[in-house]
Amino acid sequence: MNKEIFDQLPADEQPVAAKLNSAADNMKVPQDFQWKLETQLMDAYQNKSQPAKGWFTKLIAPAAWTVAAVLGFVLLNWTIRSIIPSEQAPGSSSTAIPSETFESNVRQGEICEGPLALAHDFSVYVTNQDKTGFIELDESHAIGELRSFAWSADGQLAVVGNTTGTGNIFLWNPTDNSLSAVVPNSELGYLMDAAWSRDSKMLLAWSVQNNTVVYLMNSDGSAQKEIQLGMYISTAPQFAPGDQSIVLYGSNSSSFGLFEFSLDDSQIKTISNFVEDETGFAWSPDGSRLAYFEMDRDVGEARLVTEEFESGDKTTFATLPIPKGSGSSIPDVANLSWSQDGKFLVFEFGRSASDRAIYLANADGTGLVKLVDSAHAPTISSDGNCLAYISNKQAFLLDLKNTTATPLLIADLPAGRSTSDFRLDKLQWKP
Amino acid sequence: MTIPHYPSMDDANLARLARAEPDAFAELYRRHVQSVYRYHMAHTGNVHDAEDLTSQTFMSALEGIRSYRGAAPYIAWLMGIASRLRLRFFRRRATKPEVPLDAALHIPTPGLPTDRSAFQRLERTRILNALKQLSSDRAEALILCFFSELSFTEAASVLGKSEAAVKMLVSRGLQDLRARSSIALEMDYE
Repeated sequence: MNKEIFDQLPADEQPVAAKLNSAADNMKVPQDFQWKLETQLMDAYQNKSQPAKGWFTKLIAPAAWTVAAVLGFVLLNWTIRSIIPSEQAPGSSSTAIPSETFESNVRQGEICEGPLALAHDFSVYVTNQDKTGFIELDESHAIGELRSFAWSADGQLAVVGNTTGTGNIFLWNPTDNSLSAVVPNSELGYLMDAAWSRDSKMLLAWSVQNNTVVYLMNSDGSAQKEIQLGMYISTAPQFAPGDQSIVLYGSNSSSFGLFEFSLDDSQIKTISNFVEDETGFAWSPDGSRLAYFEMDRDVGEARLVTEEFESGDKTTFATLPIPKGSGSSIPDVANLSWSQDGKFLVFEFGRSASDRAIYLANADGTGLVKLVDSAHAPTISSDGNCLAYISNKQAFLLDLKNTTATPLLIADLPAGRSTSDFRLDKLQWKP
Repeated sequence: MTIPHYPSMDDANLARLARAEPDAFAELYRRHVQSVYRYHMAHTGNVHDAEDLTSQTFMSALEGIRSYRGAAPYIAWLMGIASRLRLRFFRRRATKPEVPLDAALHIPTPGLPTDRSAFQRLERTRILNALKQLSSDRAEALILCFFSELSFTEAASVLGKSEAAVKMLVSRGLQDLRARSSIALEMDYE
């Protein structure tokens, strides 16, 4: 709001001015666009700064590159012909071709077994038996929006739904593909997300209207409790191992960050003030370690940190560069998750849906690789064979035993109830 | 070597540095992209056109940064570029059919519940339609002051008028909106 001008206005003009201010406040620059334009401007700046070249320089360099490329191609062609036998068995090459064995194993359920759940455009789906498509939950659209979901450790699927601003959690019955409301006559506000306790007996949820409170309940909706946190939730509260505390990204009176809230005595412990919104955090499958990203804008790096739950010891085992400074133009990290064996972490890192890549890190800190460009919502199957992800409005499976092979297409993403930001897309395998 | 701390610098110093340092230009961009985007959004009512014109504005600013001498505030210089590009855009579009405002404003807002973003869309449509009912200089003054958040002095520099004249335009514009537009109707019911 332009307060300086607003304060100078006569009282009778202020209500109209307030309407204009309100409309202006709602016109936010789309983040994707802002990032993209900044990158384009910086590219244009660099090009502008290049010293001017004479016609000779302009011609000689491309000509030299052309000659070098032709020579390189001839040499490479000759080398390949001399190495590869003339009659090679199909499928034995390690080049980027679809692996028929991988596809066949996936379709027959021999690897990457179990359904994969998808949240997209305010609908939730699970994959069909042979992973060639998605089955919509609540096909009749009796519930207004299905925003998100969570698998329990024992394989129950909880779906977060909202009907005209009233939220509820629904449990999926795979036998008849039905959803049943957990809370009878719910009066909860618009629910953002839900999480299971590690023993699969309790659920927690939070609403956008009252984001200083978490709702705890048994998985049958009984014993519902409102827990006042004394701080604001921004994203993703989850139970900590032991189910005696919850971890969340949020803010207290002095700072934003990742916090642990004790359900026993309401004590709040700061885990890290470097953690930012969207960043995400994830518990290792055995509950011994918490992984999260710290965004250090002063140093200019995003650090993948694991913290021992018992001792609090921290280890930084991977870093990625980010721009320095306090501007908004830093990439975000999302959908951080562990493989079931606890050996790998996977996450997405980038600015927009297209300027975003999926990375895989060894949990022992010995390596970090970029797996897929222009992709998001990664998740590793419980047997560790498949990476599921979304790219260009399609869901794919990547063979983690042969990451250079062409990924297997599951299906185009179905059209949801209304368009949401790609950041609300989520894929997760049944444990 | 001392690394300049761009966030603490004023626009004029940043603009001088931006002739040679890309980070200084990036800082200026981050400071003012919202003002420029809202300006174009208020005029076009269309995200795609607003993004396109915002890109053109900053590309032109990058091209011309050496010509900025600091006589007027940097934001006034930048909005002057935005204003010229906007006029050229509407001249060119005069021969083409205009996208209906209601359709053009159907833009999903990331992260918001649907009902709230729909409400915001409707409110924005009503206000932008109301601005279209005003004379062009009054609408321009209101957009510069309330959407781009310029001061009276800065808006005066963009419009080539005195500060008193801009205050008058803003005041008359607000009175017009109150008297004639759908905003007034809504407020009467509140």
